[in-house]
Amino acid sequence: MLLSLAACGAFAAACYGFAGAGSVEGMLQGGLTPSAVPGLLGPITEGGRLAWECKPEIAAAARTADQGDLPVLPAK
Amino acid sequence: MLRRAAALASILLAAGTAGAAAQQYPMRTPAPKTTSLPQLRALARTREISERFTMGVADEQRGEYAAAIPEFERIAALRPPEPEYSTAQYDLGIAYANTGRPADAAAAFQSAIAADPGFLAAMANLIAVELAAGNVNAARAAADKFVKAAPDSARALYSRGIVALQQNDLATARTDFSQLLKSDPRYALGHYDLGVTESRAGRWNSAEREFLLALDLAPGYARARFALGTVLLREGRRSDARSQFDRVVRDPNGDVALQSLAQAMRDAIHAP
Repeated sequence: MLLSLAACGAFAAACYGFAGAGSVEGMLQGGLTPSAVPGLLGPITEGGRLAWECKPEIAAAARTADQGDLPVLPAK
Repeated sequence: MLRRAAALASILLAAGTAGAAAQQYPMRTPAPKTTSLPQLRALARTREISERFTMGVADEQRGEYAAAIPEFERIAALRPPEPEYSTAQYDLGIAYANTGRPADAAAAFQSAIAADPGFLAAMANLIAVELAAGNVNAARAAADKFVKAAPDSARALYSRGIVALQQNDLATARTDFSQLLKSDPRYALGHYDLGVTESRAGRWNSAEREFLLALDLAPGYARARFALGTVLLREGRRSDARSQFDRVVRDPNGDVALQSLAQAMRDAIHAP
């Protein structure tokens, strides 16, 4: 069992062209995480979601990321 | 005589204008014109709801979520008609979510949706709190409902795509991110997430294209550059991959963890 694992590791290392393919595979996966979950939309006044210019409801229905208040790249 | 008539006319005109203005802008809560106890109670209740909304929303806007909770709990207990009930539950959900009570927040957003089944903002927030609590299946159920109610909504598509990726449902993630990008092709994060989806499916060419599109839109997007490096590595283009990891090391866009990872990757690849 251990021998076959070692053989797999050696094969992967040969494929990628570097040592320690198992740990590298972990690093590859670690760097491929999805982007962030959107934050909460803000409070709504007593007029309700259909009131004129209810920003959270407008954001929830918007077709673009900017208007939908979706995550943006961190500024440098 | 003529002068007196003109002055009288101008006074009457001014009075008429004031009356019209008052009709255009009626008072929010009219002064009680009754001595009936039930009617006075109803007026007081309406007034209380209005005041509590004003205070609770102001508390949340100041970030004082704990102070907002009793205001919205009281409104919900009074069970006002729509849209006030669902709105109070929605605002209560925000207050709970920001005071470390995700289960209560989810219940409040669900109550808002039950009272108003088209309440998109409540659906959006329900997904966020369920994910924060680690309830991926509940988040997916909310996301499915959100997409069904608003199939063109960028937030609905993005949120369900993220949840689907967490569930490894790559087909749904691909559909949702692709749909989002049809409406908003300049959203770099959308291209990145579609690239991650394609990578997980082993579709390296598609993944590479999406990461390159993300980098065209945002050249400083270090996470997309790292992801591009991983795809190039899978494709056997070691030198190109090393170059991408090296660029992340030099310009990590403030992401120190990613910088360390990129450095380890760069150093692990044998120099040609």
